[in-house]
Amino acid sequence: MTGKKVLVVDDEIHIVHVVAIKLRNNGYEVVTAENGAEAFELACQENPDIIVTDFQMPVMTGLELVQKLRQREQTKNIPVILLTARNFAISQEQQEELQISDCLSKPFSPKELLGNIEDILYHRAVNNPA
Amino acid sequence: MKFARQAYAIVTTIVVCSLVAAALAGWKDLSVTGATSNFYGVLLLIACCAGAVGVIWLGWHCLRLAGAVTSIANQINKKISDLRLPIGDCKTEIENLHRTPNGGKSKIENINLLGETLTQWLDSCSGYIGTLENQIKDLQLQIQLSHRQKRNTEAIIYSLRDAVIVIDEFDRLLMANDAAGRLFNFDHKNAQHKPIGELVDKSKSVFIDFLRQSRCSKTEATRREIQLAQEARPRTFDCIVSCVYDQRQEVCGVVAVLHDITREKEVSQMKNDFVSHVSHELKTPLASITAYSEMLADGEADDEQTRKQFYSVIQNQAKRLNRLIEDILNISRIESGLIKVEKKPVSLTILIEEQLQMIKGYAEEKNITVITQKPIVYDQVYADRDMISQVVVNLLSNAIKYTPSGGSVTIETAVDETTGIARVTVTDTGVGIPPDEVGRIFDKFYRVDANKKQAKGTGLGLNLVKQIVEKVHNGRVFVRSQPGVGSTFGFELPLATVQMVEAT
Repeated sequence: MTGKKVLVVDDEIHIVHVVAIKLRNNGYEVVTAENGAEAFELACQENPDIIVTDFQMPVMTGLELVQKLRQREQTKNIPVILLTARNFAISQEQQEELQISDCLSKPFSPKELLGNIEDILYHRAVNNPA
Repeated sequence: MKFARQAYAIVTTIVVCSLVAAALAGWKDLSVTGATSNFYGVLLLIACCAGAVGVIWLGWHCLRLAGAVTSIANQINKKISDLRLPIGDCKTEIENLHRTPNGGKSKIENINLLGETLTQWLDSCSGYIGTLENQIKDLQLQIQLSHRQKRNTEAIIYSLRDAVIVIDEFDRLLMANDAAGRLFNFDHKNAQHKPIGELVDKSKSVFIDFLRQSRCSKTEATRREIQLAQEARPRTFDCIVSCVYDQRQEVCGVVAVLHDITREKEVSQMKNDFVSHVSHELKTPLASITAYSEMLADGEADDEQTRKQFYSVIQNQAKRLNRLIEDILNISRIESGLIKVEKKPVSLTILIEEQLQMIKGYAEEKNITVITQKPIVYDQVYADRDMISQVVVNLLSNAIKYTPSGGSVTIETAVDETTGIARVTVTDTGVGIPPDEVGRIFDKFYRVDANKKQAKGTGLGLNLVKQIVEKVHNGRVFVRSQPGVGSTFGFELPLATVQMVEAT
């Protein structure tokens, strides 16, 4: 799975930092953004393999970001992992409708996040062999 | 009487004759003695005649009086005789009965028996009448009592803050209290027997539908939360409808009680928001601490410098967590009056200078200029130093937080010696607050919707400012704002008097 590009989005700079270190240490390429609007632009430019985003952020929330991504042809199939400090932030229906691969609640384990990213990317590779 | 009249005639004749004789004799004797004596003789004669006439008049009247007395006596006598006659008859009758053998005796016995029965019956009747009289008194007392109870019950129902409506089986109003009248806009005193559908506005038909449904379901009590507008404001009511049954167990009416739970709902919503906000705010630093410590434990930090950086993040996030918990606890302590307050004379200018040093890094990070105006005046206030420091920090950090990069924040102190007040104002060139939300900006957990995306927050900072200034220091907080231009937050505290300074 090395060489895959991950977009990490959170307004908490420390969270972005720690996730980036964990992923880089495990061979991923990482791009970061502070809010949804910035992340959307980056997603269009960088075409990441997977996006890890916080739920509540200023300017544009994680949910708004996913909604925007799903409307655009280029980004509509990018898998998304949502990090949230709120329980029940989104419903099961919403999660399915927006094709959100996973929801992790804060505080989270970087090791667990890495495991989930690997799983998702592996399944995608198996299901859609390029 | 006849004799009396005769006697009277004889006596009168004798008296008259003797008087005439005396007069003639007198006149004859006098005529011998001379001319002067003749005059006296005539006088005597006249006197005698007058005497005679008087005696006759008096006698006549006595005779008439005697006649009248006799007539009355005769009448009385007759009446007595009339009364005696039936008594005599009765006597005769009883005697006759006594004389009659057997048949008469049994008749008497029968009469006696009848008499006894009648007496007994009369006795029992009088006893029964006595009981009835007692029962009437009891009933009257009960009526009075139930009247009083009815009035008490009515007073209770009318004074209830909950709206109470009672309708019959034909949907006509039987009773409504004042609260119901106000809620449904009708005069509850003059609305009896009117159809409820006419009294209640169509916009509130949800309530009427609920009443009808409850009646049809025939259940004892049904409960539902319904939304009704009162004075153009949406309110939530907890509505309980109970059916009233007659002797045949048929529904003969419905009682509805509407309890306004809008405030409870708001408080509940605020609590939920609080839990949601606070848990989010607590989890954010906790997430960093957990992630960084796991990274350290897993040996993901290769070099010493990275490890130091990780330790530093953990420390700072732990401090942030602690500040947040302190804020929540302080508000709770101030509200419950449990906080320890240490008031001393404090110079506002010096205190502000200290806080500016602390906030400098944050302002530089956001590229915001902080301007201070320091008048060289006596600006000592009698206050808890730590608490007022917190007020200043909260106002400054808020101003920086909601001001876009490149803006400015100005902090000023002013002293009004005439009123004995020191005033601190913090003015920013930030996003501002919409006019309809300015009034709620100091409320606990309240955050301006439009500004939520601008920055994170718990909605506790400004509430803490208000509590510290107003509740602990008897001061005043204020705010002026214009969306897109900026806001000015400030507080006023009483200046420390010379006595206060000397006392410490």
